[in-house]
Amino acid sequence: MSEANGSAMLEVHGLRSGYHGVEVLKGIDLDVGAEVFAVLGANGAGKTTLLATLARLIPLMAGTIHFHGEDVTRLPAFETAARGIGYVPQEKGVFPELTVSENLTIGGMIGRRSREDRIAEVFELFPDLAALQGQLAGTLSGGESRMVACCRALMQDPQLLLLDEPTAGLSPLYVDMFFEKITEIHQTKGVSIILAEQNATKALEVADQVMVLSLGEAFAVMDAAQLTTDQLKEGYRI
Amino acid sequence: MNLDWLDAFLISGLFSVVIIIGLGLLLHLQLGLARIANFGVVGFFGIGMYAFGVMFVKVDWPFSEVWAFFISLAFGTLVAGLSGLLVGWLIADLDEDGVLVGTLGFATAVLILATTEQDLTGGALGLGGLKFPYDIGSVKANEFLWLIIVTTVVALILLYVGRVHRSPYGRLLIAVGANEPLARSLGKPAFRTKLWLFAVGSAGMGLLGALFGVMVRFLDISNLGIDVTLAAMVALVLGGTARVWGAVIGGFLTIGLFEIVVQSYIPFPQGWYGQAIPVVRQMVFGATLIVVLLFRPLGILGDMRRDKLMRSMHGG
Ligand SMILES: Nc1ncnc2c1ncn2[C@@H]1O[C@H](COP(=O)(O)OP(=O)(O)OP(=O)(O)O)[C@@H](O)[C@H]1O
Ligand SMILES: [Mg+2]
Repeated sequence: MSEANGSAMLEVHGLRSGYHGVEVLKGIDLDVGAEVFAVLGANGAGKTTLLATLARLIPLMAGTIHFHGEDVTRLPAFETAARGIGYVPQEKGVFPELTVSENLTIGGMIGRRSREDRIAEVFELFPDLAALQGQLAGTLSGGESRMVACCRALMQDPQLLLLDEPTAGLSPLYVDMFFEKITEIHQTKGVSIILAEQNATKALEVADQVMVLSLGEAFAVMDAAQLTTDQLKEGYRI
Repeated sequence: MNLDWLDAFLISGLFSVVIIIGLGLLLHLQLGLARIANFGVVGFFGIGMYAFGVMFVKVDWPFSEVWAFFISLAFGTLVAGLSGLLVGWLIADLDEDGVLVGTLGFATAVLILATTEQDLTGGALGLGGLKFPYDIGSVKANEFLWLIIVTTVVALILLYVGRVHRSPYGRLLIAVGANEPLARSLGKPAFRTKLWLFAVGSAGMGLLGALFGVMVRFLDISNLGIDVTLAAMVALVLGGTARVWGAVIGGFLTIGLFEIVVQSYIPFPQGWYGQAIPVVRQMVFGATLIVVLLFRPLGILGDMRRDKLMRSMHGG
């Protein structure tokens, strides 16, 4: 089954996972190539569970994950990170007791580019952060710490970035800015992105493919442009 | 060497202070940085002490006593380090309650083993025959020299801990302690980091135990009680878990106060020393721990974990 589709960066087949023996994701199939892949779904649909499972932080109950053709199903998180999967969690994405600079430089780094180059690059993307370098991350605002978490993942030079609701609870202007950055990251750096979102309108603007999760099942997987409001509503069970 | 000016009580009091400071410093890496509350400090301390003692006293060494001494010392340190690796492996994935039970259980197991394995350890009767690897005259002179040597060892531990504190490794420990899944998702092998931390910390605690055993020259299971763990923890928490110097200040404030000031300089009735004071000491330590955690949770020195609220890595 594994090498069936050689073109996809990430191939997931029959993925089941959950907590304490309770299944949340009930068999998910995914093929993610060089694209922005949106995962939509209501609260509790399993978006966070899916991303954390892909980041190898939650064990699989069944199924396989292949990254660039390699079976990473049983690899620990720190090894998939080293292979190019970056993860920005929905909450607690920074180390509060370290400064912004320390947060940015603590991750393992893939490739040979110098730390200074990488820092300069993320500050180019989020110029507001440059002034906050010495501040303890625990004292940042919600939006600032999202930016730091995102930059920290980018410091690793990932090939695939898992973003879990990066704009939840942020002001509309901020949300617009962040979605522009997501497109920019994908287009200029060539990073593939899996984006978990509540905000369907915004997500569909930037996404190539979309999956609607409904109670742990993939309700629809298709081109983002083709998803209809009715399908979305059905997936959200409204 | 004329040491008349030096009170024998002062030597042993200072020695206790130095040992507790050493244990507190090692605990600082585990509790202060990585947030692993090791309640089994005395277990590692004790296993190092007994492994050293048994090796030194019970083995018929074919070489000179000095060689036998150092080999036994290395053995005690190694055994403690390996036991740390084992305990670390058992508790690395447990939550705080699991860590508490696991480390406390290990310390209890060491005490039970030392009590029941009488052929090796002498059981409740104790194990004698330890001695200094030198003889420069009087008992007092030998003890004084040992105090200086052990102080040097603890100063080296302070140096090591200080370096870790400022190094990327120290930040890794803070990261793993604060948010382990996040650290793993960044490519940090959290499990391995914890194992290594436990192995090194325990080896250090075992070495201190062996050095302690040499000073008392008679290994006794009363040295394996929870009060050693408690003293190291009180010293660390009182001084501040976040600071390198916390354990040093705390060590002087707690053990220094009891072993030196109370024991030697306040004229309590003779009868109190054997029974009442050790009990009072434990009660005061427990109470201190509670009061500090309630009112100054970051210790006497601590305001924030890091030196300043705002701090620029680029010197700004
Ligand atoms: N640590 C956990 N232990 C047990 N159950 C959990 C845990 N985390 C999540 N769940 C359950 O798993 C299901 C999916 O949760 P998940 O966090 O993946 O949803 P989500 O789609 O990310 O929702 P949201 O949009 O609110 O973030 C929910 O029913 C939730 O109650
Ligand atoms: Mg979520």
